[in-house]
Formats: sequence, C-alpha cells, structure tokens
Amino acid sequence: MIPQPFDYTAPRSLQEALELLKSGERKILAGGMSLIPLMKLRLATPEQVVDLGGLKNLNYIAENEGVVRIGAMATHHDIEMSPVVRGRCPLLADVASRIGDVQVRNRGTLGGSIAHADPAADYPAALIALESKVRLVSANSDRTVDAADFFLDAFTTAIEPGEIVLELQVPIEDSSEGYAYEKVSHPASGFAVVGVAVRVKRNGGRISMARIGVTGMGPRVFRDRAAEKQVEEGVDPFHATLGIGEGESVNSDIYASGDYRRHLARVHATRAIKTALSRAL
Amino acid sequence: MKITGAYPIPCPSERAYSLLQDPVILAACMPGCEMLERTGDGEYRMKMRMTLASVCGLFDGKVRIADSQPSERFRLVVEGTGKIGFMKGDGLLSLAPDGAGVSVQYDGEVQVGGTIAAVGQRLIDTTAHMLIKRFFEKLTKHAAAIPASTVAAQ
Repeated sequence: MIPQPFDYTAPRSLQEALELLKSGERKILAGGMSLIPLMKLRLATPEQVVDLGGLKNLNYIAENEGVVRIGAMATHHDIEMSPVVRGRCPLLADVASRIGDVQVRNRGTLGGSIAHADPAADYPAALIALESKVRLVSANSDRTVDAADFFLDAFTTAIEPGEIVLELQVPIEDSSEGYAYEKVSHPASGFAVVGVAVRVKRNGGRISMARIGVTGMGPRVFRDRAAEKQVEEGVDPFHATLGIGEGESVNSDIYASGDYRRHLARVHATRAIKTALSRAL
Repeated sequence: MKITGAYPIPCPSERAYSLLQDPVILAACMPGCEMLERTGDGEYRMKMRMTLASVCGLFDGKVRIADSQPSERFRLVVEGTGKIGFMKGDGLLSLAPDGAGVSVQYDGEVQVGGTIAAVGQRLIDTTAHMLIKRFFEKLTKHAAAIPASTVAAQ
C-alpha cells in the first residue's frame, strides 16, 4: 500500500533535528523497520516525518571508562558485528544477532527499536540485565535514564515530546561473567514470544551475581529479582525459575496464551541460566 | 477475545457507581476520548482518538449502559468504527466493597476487526489491558479528587 502524503525533512545535524522536534508533533524515522510498514498500512499517518538517517555521527560504538557507548543510529548488524560489543558486552551482541531477519538487522537501529518499545522486542531484556542507561536529549535538555525506568508499558517509554534517544550506555561485563539469551521467535515476525536474558558471575564455589531480564511475556520488560535471588542462593535453575514473572501481567494472543507464555518463560529462563552458568569462569 | 480483570477504586461503591455512569467523568477518563454526547437514556455517541506508538486512529462509536442495578453492577456495550478497523465490546461491570473502597470487576467480550486486527493480532490483548488500566488510573484520581462526603451532601 501507499502511505498517506506527509512532509519529509532530513536534518543534516543533531542540532537541526532537535530544533525541528521542538514542537513535539513530528514523527522520527530511524531505520524505518516499524514505522514504514505501519505507514504503508495507513495505521500510522504522521503529517511530518523527520528522518535521522543522515546523521551518520549518531552511528558509533565506543568504549571509555568502563562503559560501552552505542549511538542510537547503530544498526542491529553493527552491534552484532562490533568487536567492542562482542568483547565487552557479549550479551548485547548475542541479542542483536537474534533480532528479526537479515534485512531488519541491516536497516533497523538500536535507537528506533527501543524508542518504539514493542513489548516483544529483544533488546529490552538485555538492556535490563546489563543495567544499562539510555541518554535522551532535546533542544534544551540532556538526561540519562536507567533502562529499568525507560520502558514504562507496551509502546510507552520515558521519552518526552521533543526528545530523542542519543545513545545507550552499557557498563562493560566482567570477562569472567557468563551470559545467555534464550528466545522463542514468533515464526512470522521473529519477535520474541518470550525472551530471557541472563548474566551470572561466580565467586569461588558460589554464584555472586545473577541478572534476569524477561521480554515478550508481559506488556513491558521486567527483571525477575526473586528468581535472581534464588540463583544467587544456589537454588538450581529449574526450581529458581518456577515462579518467574509472578505478579506481572502476562500477554495473551492468538499464538500463545498467557499460561503458555508463563510456561515458555520458565523453560527458557532455566535454559538461559544453565548456559550462562556453563560460560561463567 | 475475553477481557477480565478487577481494579480497586478508593471510594464507596455508590460513588464509584455514579462516577462510572457520569458522562463528564467517563469522557475525561477514557484514553483519547474527544467527545461524548448523550443521545438517549443511557446511550451516548463518542469520538475517540486512539494513539499508541506510531499507530493513530480516529474512532466514531456508540456507548450504551444497560441492565443497571445501582451501586452493584451494569452492562456496558461499546461499538466503534474508524479507518483502521472496528471494535465491538460487551461487558459486565460489578462493584464489590473492598476495605474502605470498592473493587470493580469487569468481564467482557471484545471483537476487533479490520486492518488493525489483521496485522496487530499479537498486540490487541496487551493494548486492551493497557487502555483499561489507563482508564481506571484516571478514574481513581477523580475518585480521590472530590471527597465522597461532598458528593453525598449535594
């Protein structure tokens, strides 16, 4: 289908983009992997679109002072292939490599994906498990939000009108850490029916740290602190995840009922924890 | 698709019941409601702008309140059509005292069709629950805003 006519602007600098976005009414186009299909179906009919595609300086991956900084316009493929990401926060590279399909990974961007905040997107699970931060800027503000406070609900984030996602800041993983991402891909879209990202750290005979982020199961990503605590106390992965997502609301659709999602989350959390433990030194 | 759930409202059931049937309050609480106009006994015409992520749709619809049993329960029948699809809903809302407040239980059946259902199947349930949550959150603010005693005195 053909989208409804719209005004198109392609700013050449971040400053120009932020000026354009001041009114808060313009829609931002990044990789276009969600927005363009919606516009073609006329489900989205924005009157003004600001294309950030020309802002090449928002596509970077750099490491300094124990933090990996990834520009919002880095594609999933850039992240998947980056030696910095693979070396310093391999969980994120793994998650990026499992998004959608080759075409989506080549065009889709980190910033676009997290700003869209699809409840079944892959990144949120990793962002939460990695305790990363999102930097948001507007014409007159510049702030950093914890990933855990960024995803508020399905398609709802902490981004205020006029703001754009500038970069993701990921604290580097300890090289002795184990990590894993287990997901059930929706067969048509590749979205995570359920996706579980896990990080663990061993200290001598015991597990000194566990982080578990779950996406796809509920309307927004969540960290399962109860399961993390059990893993840290040495409970085996199967029993530690029996109550995963308890107290969280659970999505249900034509493909997977709420009960089935709960079951999938348990099974895949168990697998992810086992894999992560086997990778931890 | 079935939609069930319960939401606590911090005020006595008589007041919660009247809030839930007050067109001014409903229009203020329904996400994206742009107009709610009484057309008959318990019948209203409604315009709603639903915005979620990049999706935006204008719906024109009807709301009917039936089988009213004051301060206990009523049936809500909603119908809406727009360019991006249509929806029909029929639900029973029952109010049960819960501590100092009241718990509003909703059991309903919702049908969604058109483009939005064809491509958004995966998200309809999540969206419906989110909209209901937003509605009750706003209603709770209204319930708290004016103390029950003032209303009783009026």
